[in-house]
Amino acid sequence: MAMSNNDDKQAAVVECKKLTKIYKKLLAGKSKAVCALQDISLSVGKGQIVGLIGPNGAGKSTLLNLIAGLIFPNKGSVAVCGHPARSIQAHKGLGYMPEHPVFLGRYTARAVLRYHGALSGMTRQAISHQMDKLTEKLQMDEYLDRCCMDFSQGMKQRLALSIAMINDPKVLLLDEPSNGLDPIGIIQLRNFLKELRAAGTTIVISSHRLGELEQLTSDYMFMYRGQVVSFADKLACGHAGRLRIELVSGGNAIAEKLLSPSKVLSVSDTELEIAVDDPGEVPDIIIDLAKGGARMMGVLLERENIEDVFVRLCSEGT
Amino acid sequence: MRKYELIRETFCRRGYIWIVHVVWLVLYGGFWWLFLPESEKEVGDFGRFLFIWGGFFLALALSAGIFGDDISSGRICVLITKPLSHGELYLCRLLGLSLQAAAHFILAGCIIVILRFVMRKGSIEHLGIWLFASWLLFITVAALSTSLSVVVGRIYNSLLILVVVVTVYFILGLLLSSMHQKADTGILTAFIRYAWPPFELLSKFAGGEYGKYSLTVGRFSVSKSIACVVHSVFLTVVYSIIGIILLRKRQFSRQRD
Repeated sequence: MAMSNNDDKQAAVVECKKLTKIYKKLLAGKSKAVCALQDISLSVGKGQIVGLIGPNGAGKSTLLNLIAGLIFPNKGSVAVCGHPARSIQAHKGLGYMPEHPVFLGRYTARAVLRYHGALSGMTRQAISHQMDKLTEKLQMDEYLDRCCMDFSQGMKQRLALSIAMINDPKVLLLDEPSNGLDPIGIIQLRNFLKELRAAGTTIVISSHRLGELEQLTSDYMFMYRGQVVSFADKLACGHAGRLRIELVSGGNAIAEKLLSPSKVLSVSDTELEIAVDDPGEVPDIIIDLAKGGARMMGVLLERENIEDVFVRLCSEGT
Repeated sequence: MRKYELIRETFCRRGYIWIVHVVWLVLYGGFWWLFLPESEKEVGDFGRFLFIWGGFFLALALSAGIFGDDISSGRICVLITKPLSHGELYLCRLLGLSLQAAAHFILAGCIIVILRFVMRKGSIEHLGIWLFASWLLFITVAALSTSLSVVVGRIYNSLLILVVVVTVYFILGLLLSSMHQKADTGILTAFIRYAWPPFELLSKFAGGEYGKYSLTVGRFSVSKSIACVVHSVFLTVVYSIIGIILLRKRQFSRQRD
């Protein structure tokens, strides 16, 4: 599981232990220091996709940067494939896509991919093979020989993902990968990431597109002010869905007579909103209400998605 | 292949690089054509012009932002996650600059020789040794600038060296002239000669002040000319080591989200 402070059942490909990161400004006092991460532990196994979610300033990118070895922790350690995060061995199996990709403007996409492939220690033949595979998957064929400076945001994202994937990494770190992608691009990206997961690639992804994340994984880390909130627990503790029932009349009396107060989210004469932990409870609730004399005109089950939980947790201030 | 790509990238880093080369080559040709060196002193003047412009100012112009640009744009974040050592990244950039300068000085030499051939006047005596000394100075200054580029932005790394070099020479010049009669001047001159970019050693070497281009045996039974070259290379290595250490210690992050 990709949660903090829990035991691993499989060998961890990415392992963070009690990470603390404090940003200090040069010559500034302690009061100006910002604690971006506080005592975070994370363990990600092979073939797992972990979504990092949280409001701006939660520490998602800091965590990705620590795993990528771009910054040092003040406390704790990070290991990628069993090696320290900043070591050459760790970087051999790592692909990193930053939030704002930048390329050498005068290079074509082909030259950029060849360059990054060469930096990864690949042979010319291996680069060509991987380039063909990636351009087909991400539909970049017609852009390969165009200069990067002419690319749209979506094309830049595709190219950045190709760069991260050029060495066929075991661990892929993606920071807002769907930024600027059109709907087709997002679907392609999602399918591609699913294929990678099936092939055993470990993916840590930070995204604000929660709906997208929901379709990729059920392992989330909700981060807030540099700390981890165990997302799965919050989800279970919360309401898995809400049942909205339209009534002819008598809503208040029915709620009082037939429902537990903790389950009633809102009530009026013609409408009832009931919290539902499990969708399987819905038929029983309907039958009970009907037996109790409720005259129903419509029933709608609204399931709480990741976005609802995100908003709820943010508003609760976790 | 990795080294080739890194070196090639240094050549293609900025569009203005080729403009700088052309402007500098025109400068050398213009100076030679206008002042047409004939006597030994005039040849020395031209050599010193080539030495300062090619060895110092060209190095500052070409190495500006060599790491600073990558760091400020965030491109370094992807480079650092590639399986290559910081030393390799640094040395390939410096090697790229050095090769660029080597091609530049070869071209400069060809232009002067062609001008001499066309005009059938002027002297090209000792041109080769001045070009070599300029190249050595270029590498040393480029190493210093590249190292500084790891910690300061593109606007500052070259400008800082220029301002510091000019200021230090000005202040030390004043100090030396005021302390002329005193014995303490030895420390200052030693600092300028050995720890500073080797302007003095290399210009004296190219000017033939340590023996007229011969292997004159010096104090330590080593030719002073060779010692100047070795010292220049040694300084380059020291500046490079500082740069590599700075690169290893540097953190790279654009945002704190």
